[in-house]
Amino acid sequence: MKRRKTFIAVLLLALLIGAIPLMKPEESSAFSNQVIERGAFGDDVIELQARLQYLGFYHGKIDGKFGWGTYWALRNFQESYGLKVDGIAGPQTKKVLVNNSDFDREWVHAQINAGREFTYYGGIPLDQQVKKGKTGASKSKSYQLPAKFTERDLQLMANAVYGEARGEPYEGQVAVAAVILNRLESPDFPNTISEIIFQPGAFTAVADGQIWLTPNERAKQAVLDAMNGWDPSENALYYFNPKTATSKWIWTRPQIKQIGNHIFCY
Amino acid sequence: MKSLVYLLSIAVLALGVYAYEVRSDNQELKQTIHAQYTNSLSNASEKLSYLQRSVAQSLLFQDEKALQNELDNIWRTSNELRSSISNLPLNPDVANQWLRYLGKIGDEAKRAATEGDYESWQKKMTVVHQNLEKLTDEWTVATAQFFENDRNFDKWQQVAKADLEESPFKNIASNLKTYTEKDFPLTTSESDWLKKRDLKHIRDREITKDEAIKVLEKLVPGIKDATYTVSRSKEDAPYPFYHIQFVKGSCIGYADITVKGGHLISFLSERPVQPDKNVTQEKVKELTKQFIQRAGYDDLEIIEMQENHESWHVRLARVAGKHRAIVYPDGIQMKISKDSGELLGLNAMEYVQKENIKDQPVIPIDWKKFFRPNTIVEQERFIYTENEAYQLRLCYEVIARFKDDSNKTYRVVVDTENHDVIKVEQLP
Repeated sequence: MKRRKTFIAVLLLALLIGAIPLMKPEESSAFSNQVIERGAFGDDVIELQARLQYLGFYHGKIDGKFGWGTYWALRNFQESYGLKVDGIAGPQTKKVLVNNSDFDREWVHAQINAGREFTYYGGIPLDQQVKKGKTGASKSKSYQLPAKFTERDLQLMANAVYGEARGEPYEGQVAVAAVILNRLESPDFPNTISEIIFQPGAFTAVADGQIWLTPNERAKQAVLDAMNGWDPSENALYYFNPKTATSKWIWTRPQIKQIGNHIFCY
Repeated sequence: MKSLVYLLSIAVLALGVYAYEVRSDNQELKQTIHAQYTNSLSNASEKLSYLQRSVAQSLLFQDEKALQNELDNIWRTSNELRSSISNLPLNPDVANQWLRYLGKIGDEAKRAATEGDYESWQKKMTVVHQNLEKLTDEWTVATAQFFENDRNFDKWQQVAKADLEESPFKNIASNLKTYTEKDFPLTTSESDWLKKRDLKHIRDREITKDEAIKVLEKLVPGIKDATYTVSRSKEDAPYPFYHIQFVKGSCIGYADITVKGGHLISFLSERPVQPDKNVTQEKVKELTKQFIQRAGYDDLEIIEMQENHESWHVRLARVAGKHRAIVYPDGIQMKISKDSGELLGLNAMEYVQKENIKDQPVIPIDWKKFFRPNTIVEQERFIYTENEAYQLRLCYEVIARFKDDSNKTYRVVVDTENHDVIKVEQLP
C-alpha cells in the first residue's frame, strides 16, 4: 500500500513537472546570430523591442525598426543589468535579455500582420494589450525611410509612380519619383508631396484615375530609392511621353535625357 | 414580332435611363469641380488683396512689434496664397511664376523677421508693393469671367487646356517673370548653389564612351562584360553626361557618368534579391569601407545606415576642416543587397563637386541653458550644412532627447557663430 502511494506521488510529481512548460507562455528565442544595432530592420528587431517592452524599457511601437527609441531603451537595459552600455545587441546582451524576458513570437507577429495597435508589457494579460481598431497599415509592408518622409508619402508617391510609369524600366520609375521630390525642393511648386501630386494638370495619372491603382512592390522600391537620393532624371522637373503629349508648352522645356518612353526636362 | 418590339422597347428604355444617370453623374462631378475651382479662385483673389495690403502696411511702421506682426501676416498669407494658386488649373508657366514670386515674398518676410533686417525689407518692398498692386489689378481682370455665375464649366476647361498665348493670364505670367528677376535677383549663395547642382565648375578633360564604361567597370567590377547601350545626354542638359544602360543576366541598370572628367554621378541596378539575410550589418560596413577605398573616396565617413526588405541604404558624407566636421552637402549614398553584399546603387552627384570649406568662428553654447531641464544632450558634433539662404555654415549637430519614458529623439542643428537654429527634426 505504501509502495503504491509512493508510486502515485512520484507519478503526480512527474506530471506536474511535465506540465510546467505548458503553463508558461510559449517562448522561442528566435534571435539570429547577427549583432543588432541602429538601422537594423526585421524579425530580430521585433523580438528585441518586444523583450525590452516586456521588461518595461521600451515604450514605443513594436515595428521591427531599430530607431533611436529602441537604441535608448537598449542602453537603459544594458545599464540596469550591468552590461556594456553601447546600444548594440550582441551575444551577451541578447543572452541576458532572453533569460529575463518572455517572447511570444506567434502572438506578436499576428498583431503586426493584422495591423493592430498593441503593447507587450510583462505581467499584463496579452488580450488586454490590444487596442481596438487598426493602424491602417495592415498587411502592407513597412519600410524604413529617411527622417523627412513618412509611410504616407511613400504610399502616395508609389501610387503616382505606378499610375504614371508602371510599364517603364526601373530607372524610369525612380526618375518619376525623383521628379516629384525635385518639385518639393523647387520654389516653383507647392510645398507638400500631396499638393504636388494633386496640383491640377500636373500628372496624367491623377486626371485619368490611374493613381488609384494598387502599386506593386517595384513601384515602392523605386520611391524608396528616390527618397534615399537617387535621381536618374538628373534634376528634372517635368517629363512627358513624346508619342502622346498634346501640350505644346512641354516641348518648350529644355530636355535632359530620355528613359524608356519619357523625356525628362526642366 | 410583338415580343421583339417589346424587348427592343425595354432595351431602349434601359439605355435611356442609364444614359440619363451617367449624364447626371457627370453633371454632378462638373458642378463639384466648378465649385472647388471657384472657391480656390475666390480664396486666391481675397488673399492676394490681403497680401498686397499687408505688404503696403509693412512700409508704414518703424515700431518693431507692429512690423513683426505684419511680417508674420505676410509670411502666412503668402503660404496660403501659394496653396490656393496651386489648386487652380492654371497653365504651368503661370502657376510656377506665381508660386516662385509669392514664395520669395514669404521667404523675405521670414528672413527680415528672424534677422531683424527691417531696412532691407522696406527697401525691397517699396517696389514689390507697387508690382503686387499691378498684379492684383491684372488678376481681377483675368479672372472676372470666372465669376459670371453662368454655370459654365467649359471656361475652366479652356483655361486648363489653353496655351499661354491664348490664356487670360498671359500678361500676369510675363509680368511675374520680370518682377521675380528684378525684385528678387539671385544672391551669390543661391547662384553658387545652382552652379554646384549644375556641375558648372568641372573643368576636367572630356572622356569617350569607352572610357566611361571603363570608369563604371572599375567602380562596379561585378558588371564587367555586361551588354551596354550608351547614349549622350540631350543638348539642353545643364551638364553633359553619358547615360549607360546595361544588362547582365537578370541584372538591369543604368549609370550616368559626366563627359567632363568621367565622374560617376549615379548608378542603380535591379535584379531579383533573395529574402535571405546573409550579410550582416558589420559586413555591410566593411564592404562600404572597401568600396570607398577602391573608388578613392577616402575622405568619407558613414553617417547613417538603414536596412529594408532587400537591401541596405548607406549614407556617407565628407569629413573636412580643422574641426573634422561632416560636410552634409558633399555626401554619397550606397545601396547594398542583403543576400550577397553586392553594390546595387551609388549616388555621388553631390560629391563630384565639393564645397569650399570656409573657416568660421565657433562660439560655445551652454546646452543646459539652451535646452529645458528635462532634455538630455546625448551627442554633439560639428557639421557643415546649408542654411535657408543656401550659405554653407559650420554648425553644432546635437542629438537630444526628453528625460522621460518616451525616448523621443531630436536632431538640432545650431550655427556655431550666430547660434541660429537651422534645423530641428524628430528622428525615427
